[in-house]
Amino acid sequence: MNLSALEVDALTELFNIGLHRAAASLSELTAQRIVVDLPRLWISPIEGARPRLMELLDGELASVHQIFGGVVAGDAVLLMEYEKAALLAKLMTRDEVALSGRLDQSAREVLTEVGNIVLGSCLSAFGDILHVSVAFSVPRIRIESLDGLLRSLTIDSAEIQYAVIAATRFRLSELEVAGYLIVALGVTSLELITHALTQRVE
Amino acid sequence: MTPDSRAFAAAMDRTPALEHELGDILEIGILRTDCDLVVVGWNRWLETASQQLAADVVGRSLFDVFPTLVGGQTEAAFRSAAAGATVILSQRLHGYALPLPTTVDGAGFEYMQQSARLMPLVSASREIVGVLAIIEDVTDRVVRESELRAAIGAAQLASKAKSDFLASMSHELRTPLSAMIGYSELLSSEISGPLSPLQHDHVSRLQLCARHLLGIVEEILSFARIDAGREEVRVEEVDVVALTEEALAVLTPSAKKKGLRLDVELPSCPVVATTDTIKLRQVLINLLGNAVKFTDHGGVKLSLRCIEGSSMIEFRIEDTGPGIAAEDLTRIFEAFTQVDQSRKRTKGGTGLGLPVSRHLAEMLGGSVSVESCVGVGSVFRLVLPLRYGTTSNELAPAV
Repeated sequence: MNLSALEVDALTELFNIGLHRAAASLSELTAQRIVVDLPRLWISPIEGARPRLMELLDGELASVHQIFGGVVAGDAVLLMEYEKAALLAKLMTRDEVALSGRLDQSAREVLTEVGNIVLGSCLSAFGDILHVSVAFSVPRIRIESLDGLLRSLTIDSAEIQYAVIAATRFRLSELEVAGYLIVALGVTSLELITHALTQRVE
Repeated sequence: MTPDSRAFAAAMDRTPALEHELGDILEIGILRTDCDLVVVGWNRWLETASQQLAADVVGRSLFDVFPTLVGGQTEAAFRSAAAGATVILSQRLHGYALPLPTTVDGAGFEYMQQSARLMPLVSASREIVGVLAIIEDVTDRVVRESELRAAIGAAQLASKAKSDFLASMSHELRTPLSAMIGYSELLSSEISGPLSPLQHDHVSRLQLCARHLLGIVEEILSFARIDAGREEVRVEEVDVVALTEEALAVLTPSAKKKGLRLDVELPSCPVVATTDTIKLRQVLINLLGNAVKFTDHGGVKLSLRCIEGSSMIEFRIEDTGPGIAAEDLTRIFEAFTQVDQSRKRTKGGTGLGLPVSRHLAEMLGGSVSVESCVGVGSVFRLVLPLRYGTTSNELAPAV
């Protein structure tokens, strides 16, 4: 499935809407200005995600997973290098967690809440465009290698699977922390979303 | 009520026993409400934590049970869950989901600190019929984390105070030592009058001891500056071949005195690097000084080469000293460590030379590593970029 430039632009805009909502929620929650940018988006069959992620990420990873279901279904992940995840939790709580640079229990809880807000906002944007509700599982945080993550990104479906990888940038306390959103979904779900998006654009 | 939600409600009616058991085993509160946020399930853990029996709570609005929740983040979270969202209420960002009495007295918390997960309860026909909240008491952990943070803060303050003290004391020590060395040199030069051979001998011993003490104070001063984050890099162009020869000249008398060979392998033409000359000289003298100090037989060899295919240079200092056991190889770079304490007494030194050398090398964008074999000797490798600010693969570190 090849997406046209218009479809990719529309999908990028959809993520931007979701991230804008997430940033607003996070800013209100933490009482500090938080901006979440989306500098780049890639779409490829799920097998193509591996080399791309290998280029982008290194070492141990922290991920927040959330399975979603309904008319569109799949697995959504907020993914960061371990040190960056600890830094983000530290900045979000104004130095109250992860002081030693390690993801302690409180830091993991904070990161799970952040992941829930970011993933929930983006997936809700999918639901809004399709005028359907998207059901989410309770998010789970994992510390794992890239291989472990990719193994867990399988959807319970026989159809061809795609990965939408969105590079994100959290900006707060005059610092930037890089993260990635991965939405793994079947070809039918992706077609439904892109079709709805292009109809809206046209 | 739809047939589905009736069936769901009937199924839920059978769950209290399970919720009591699960709550007791996992030590979690399990709260269920309907879509209007009227409590329909309140497990035993919640009964104990809230000191309110299920019979007194079930059938009442959550905000009737806890009026202070109205208009707050918990109400918003429950309403989001009733609309289909999953919500996490982490302790650090919310404190608590329900205003339950604290479980740790004297910790300064008015309410039990909680971590909570809220999710919609969905029937078989995918209709949202209520909200399920799982609540965990994390007060004890939060208190322990707070104590740990306080301890880390105190340790950091103490460490800074120690570094400041060391830096100022070392300075105070160095000043009179320099004067002692200066005046003893004046005595040796016999400007103030001739000295007898015995007086010459006494003055030269005085100079030797003062220089030795000055070396130790300089080492402590360097370590304190690095530890306090006050060491700065001052970059200039320098011929590292000439600089290496200078460092060798400092150590040649000690090596000769011990009867050690001092072999050198340097490029025949100048190698110009952009780096901090003083720091590089200090690292070279530290590494060479250690090699001479710990070697009693054989010799020390210093070689310098440009690493092919990269913009890095490598200094290699080999000795035929006692060698270092594999288990001690990482410890030698820790401050105040000398692997053989009995040797420390005979060889002297602060145990700061290698940590300081490694810190300085890292400040210059390089590294110090060691390979060693007990009974054969050691090889220390100092690798540095030819131009300060670049690395071998030219990759800038990402945030």
